[in-house]
Amino acid sequence: MYNDGHLEGDAVAAERILVPLSETVTVRQTVGYAVRAGLERADSLECHLVVALPSDREMPEGQTEVDAARSLLSKAENWVSEDVGDSSVTVETAVLGMDEYLFGPRDFASTFASYGEEHDIDHVVLDPEYQPGASAGMLHPLERELESAGLTYDEAPVERPARHERLIGDGTQRFDRLFAMFWISYGFYLVLGDPTYWFDLVTGAAVAGIVSVSLAHITFTFPLGRVQSPLRTLRFAIYVPYLIWEIVKANLAISIVILRPSMPIDPKMTRVNARVRSGLPLLALANSITLTPGTLTVRADDQRLIVHSLIASARDDLFDGSLERAVRFVFHGRESSAIPSPRERGDAEVIGGDEL
Amino acid sequence: MIETVRFWAIIVLIVFGLFFTFVSAVGVLRLPDVYARAHTASQTDTLGAGLALAAVALALGWQNATAYTVLLLFFVFITNPTAAHAIARSAAESGIVPWENDTDEEGESR
Repeated sequence: MYNDGHLEGDAVAAERILVPLSETVTVRQTVGYAVRAGLERADSLECHLVVALPSDREMPEGQTEVDAARSLLSKAENWVSEDVGDSSVTVETAVLGMDEYLFGPRDFASTFASYGEEHDIDHVVLDPEYQPGASAGMLHPLERELESAGLTYDEAPVERPARHERLIGDGTQRFDRLFAMFWISYGFYLVLGDPTYWFDLVTGAAVAGIVSVSLAHITFTFPLGRVQSPLRTLRFAIYVPYLIWEIVKANLAISIVILRPSMPIDPKMTRVNARVRSGLPLLALANSITLTPGTLTVRADDQRLIVHSLIASARDDLFDGSLERAVRFVFHGRESSAIPSPRERGDAEVIGGDEL
Repeated sequence: MIETVRFWAIIVLIVFGLFFTFVSAVGVLRLPDVYARAHTASQTDTLGAGLALAAVALALGWQNATAYTVLLLFFVFITNPTAAHAIARSAAESGIVPWENDTDEEGESR
């Protein structure tokens, strides 16, 4: 209302920007910057606030993630209206990734790109701390992928508290880590030493104390759950015999193939999109696949695993996803292990060797 | 009685361990390219070393060193796939095209 005539003359279309949000300490400043900078470039602004949800709506925490996203969006909408004063700003909000699985930076970038295309947006304002889901270090790969998707981006200049404060976490978290680290290192010391000898008990306690104080917040980069973490360890103990059984079966199959004079091998590169989280679960899955003879993880870019398979039966096992289910069982419990196999959900395919 | 059972169990474990190590050596010689060989090379580590270490643990009986063999096996199981993956990945990055038997007859590894 304050410069109608100017708008007519200039005929500049409204500036449209996309702001991906996540629950960070700097999200408020990012929204503020996006509005300010947008209004400097053009007189009216169309601000699209989106929350992109990472994988797995099938997991128990899926619905709460959607609710958290909605509440973040409504908060951000209020922030925008606080900031704009009386300029003309339209706010649109959306939750992205509801009907697909977003895994790595590439998926996020392509989701933003297709949203941008729908709404005729070509500029993204990024929160420097942007971190959807559990995976770490999203920003730089995401910027690279955004660039290759043809979107310009802009990092909001924010002031943030020093990073190490976040890593250590609050008091109980810190105590949990120290506690877990202490008993893990004490146990390891006593296995190597003699648990009945008083000298080893005393030196072990001292060493474990030093190790836990100095290394606890490096070892555990994720918050520990008091119920979940011991449960995972227990489920891992169930997983090991199962894995050994799979290894024995695969070893026999491969041995038969190798010893036959005709050697009926059928090597193929395959791509499998695994539905496990980055970090420890993905490591466990990729390592288990490699440990089983007949399948060999060649690449693990985010959740896209490139797996070389030597014989058809090993490939079938891989596509049936029994190891994937087992890893999900270890990390998320029994109900989330019941998912369709990679073959059924179309996440498994044979690729040519030149597509590496 | 128990001693004879243990003795023969140790023998059987060692024989199977040797068998899988042998198969693995044959595989490394016979298989066509680096990817396929990486599969069979890991057999030595998993079942070859696994069964041999199981035999060692059984031969040692209940003592501290038995715990070490189990730990050793645990570390082998972590490091072996890591090494195999590193080899395969660097092969892929140097652009080695995997051998396939049905596409074109001369499409072999180089």
